[in-house]
Amino acid sequence: MSTAESSGDGGRWLDAHYDPVAGLYTFSSCVDLADLNGDGESRLVVGDLGTGSSGMKLKVYRGTALMSESVLLDLPAGLVAFFMDVHEPRIPAVAVASGPCIYVYKNLRPYFKFTLPSLVINTLEQEVWQQVGEGQIDPITLKEMLESIRRKDDIPLSVRSLKFLSLDVSDMDEFVQLHRQQPIRRQTVITCIGTLKKSTADEDGVSCLVIGTENSKIFVLDPEAFTILSKMSLPAVPTMMDVTGQFDVEFRITVACRNGNIYILRRESDTPRYCIELSSHPAGLVRVGKNVVVGCTNESLQGFTQKGKKLWKIILPAPITTMAAMDLPTRGFQGVLVGLANCEVHLYRDKNLLSIIKTPDTVTSICFGRYGREDGTLIMTTKGGGLIVKILKRTAVFDDRDSAPGPPLAQSIRLNVPKKTKLYVDQTLRERENGLTMHRTFQMDLSRTRLAAARAYVKALESSLTPVSSSLSEPLKMNAVVQGLGPSFKLTLNIQNTAACQSVMNLAISFLYDEKLYRVRNPYMRIPLLVPGLIYPVEAFVECTSDKGISDIIKVFVLHEGKSSPLLTAHINMPVCEGSALN
Amino acid sequence: MGLFDKLVGWLGLKKEVNVLCLGLDNSGKTTIINKLKPSNAQVQDIVPTIGFSIEKFKTSSLSFTVFDMSGQGRYRNLWEHYYKEGQAIIFVIDSADKLRMVVAKEELDTLLSHPDIKHRRIPILFFANKMDVRDALSSVKVSQLLCLENIRDKPWHICTTDALKGEGLQEGVDWLQDQIKTMRT
Repeated sequence: MSTAESSGDGGRWLDAHYDPVAGLYTFSSCVDLADLNGDGESRLVVGDLGTGSSGMKLKVYRGTALMSESVLLDLPAGLVAFFMDVHEPRIPAVAVASGPCIYVYKNLRPYFKFTLPSLVINTLEQEVWQQVGEGQIDPITLKEMLESIRRKDDIPLSVRSLKFLSLDVSDMDEFVQLHRQQPIRRQTVITCIGTLKKSTADEDGVSCLVIGTENSKIFVLDPEAFTILSKMSLPAVPTMMDVTGQFDVEFRITVACRNGNIYILRRESDTPRYCIELSSHPAGLVRVGKNVVVGCTNESLQGFTQKGKKLWKIILPAPITTMAAMDLPTRGFQGVLVGLANCEVHLYRDKNLLSIIKTPDTVTSICFGRYGREDGTLIMTTKGGGLIVKILKRTAVFDDRDSAPGPPLAQSIRLNVPKKTKLYVDQTLRERENGLTMHRTFQMDLSRTRLAAARAYVKALESSLTPVSSSLSEPLKMNAVVQGLGPSFKLTLNIQNTAACQSVMNLAISFLYDEKLYRVRNPYMRIPLLVPGLIYPVEAFVECTSDKGISDIIKVFVLHEGKSSPLLTAHINMPVCEGSALN
Repeated sequence: MGLFDKLVGWLGLKKEVNVLCLGLDNSGKTTIINKLKPSNAQVQDIVPTIGFSIEKFKTSSLSFTVFDMSGQGRYRNLWEHYYKEGQAIIFVIDSADKLRMVVAKEELDTLLSHPDIKHRRIPILFFANKMDVRDALSSVKVSQLLCLENIRDKPWHICTTDALKGEGLQEGVDWLQDQIKTMRT
């Protein structure tokens, strides 16, 4: 409970609670705040993912303490608290979506389980499996038939058939024996869940559940009877959604999909009305008033109108981990909280950054609302499983200043212009007086230099001293590396054929050295066919025979067999043999 | 009787004292004041205070007028309008609400730094209420969390109370009475 000023958010938030070992592993979609007992004190309901394969739990926090914990059967995809009836006292139910089911809890007890209707099954597939049940088809034919169905038909196969196809031939018999009597089914799973008020906009009005499924459908469920009220289809699999309005009047469902698009559905049509195509995948989706704020994986935050017109875009300093809306109706404040991977949570109103909250760990879920008896509570869980609770001060104000006023920062950087001394000024004076002579002398020297260079070059070409071959028919490149301390050295020659598509053959390497000082095991080697582009290391072992610590030059020649003039030459300055000193 | 009252008034014994009762919502301010009233004047049902209410109760030598303020967030900005009249402050804390202890501290800090309070040496009585709740904090822990040791220019006292049963209230009020009497003389 340190002072709020130290956390770098302008002292607007009070650090109410921080538990780094709470063991909460969850995402924003699985966290909600609800008055579960109807006593005016909100609880935190968390669908804990555990390790991802085990330890899934439904946890309820009251104040700073864990109040209840119950085991979930499957990994939760989403969790929402909603009012399903008009009974008094107004106690909300908690819906946990996992797999193809929604588990509804009332008073923290399992109350109802809704299962999605199963999908249409391919009739051919059904017939095939029926024949298997009667023992008419063996597993090998079954595999062939299923594979032909998979290729031809548009209705996908059931999970069982797909699993069968992935099996080894040896395991097939056992699998068929185990499953052949049961009828096949095809089911989808829920990917996201939201709530939609049925007929009133009241805070405690009855809500419908809105669910998005893996087969690109959106269902609106009746709150009491759990029948499907409305069914909509999307071009891609929904991952996140935001729902506003009332089911009986007018509503809008904004869905972010796995193909990187955002679709906006309305009451009348069962297909999307508007589509927002993003440049990268959405990481978070929040509705603020009539606008949609989308956080993308390319570290940007973008604002759109509800008809899909782009309003603004800002670049963030780090990747987005999660997003949540911050809505304070008593103060008429609406903003977006963005959790970033650099352990910060930014608060934006439109495109203006209002506040930065520094957190001890990367935040994975954010929830803002009424917790306990305090309206402006921000609840965050971290990557390491910690729980952070912050309370907005009653006196906190967010001034809507533009984040970067004035000219850009780069303008005020001073250029590093070197200073000029008296020496320079004297030099310029001399140049002004004797300009003509200077020019003439320089031109003369330049011509001489050119002549000297050309002579040396011709000489080098004539004796093939260069390590890069000049001939067009055999373009070659070579460099040599000496390794070791001595007395034995390893000499590696890297030879490369630099032609576009012409191989070189019939080449040989020959070493020229002082036989009193060095011994080379094989001073004449043949080089394999050189494929263009590849580097061929040719190794030779050189042994220093003198013990006087003398070093000399070894010359390497690359020759064409049958020709006496070398193609390339390399002069290698052998290092002083340190081995002799050791002896 | 009237003559006696006047006599008492002249002697300065049964003086009127204005007390502000502050604290967060649901901390038990109205319940505490209700318990301090004579038993025939106590009410049975206590509902959340709207705005504020004025209550009176008497001790052996003083007559208290209490401004029982609402502690709800939206009414807390009313508090400062009554700071001038207050001659003593009762600050009630819900010792079972660990989460909002920071909010209570924040409100206390703003109260103590208000110009109407800052330079006056008025006694502050803290009630660490709801001591009957199972996981309630002790008065020592509450005073630690609220950093009460930083209050140097005002006399203060903290006592644990259970406003439902009335336990601990008398001790606090006795202290308040002593403080007010010593301040007058």
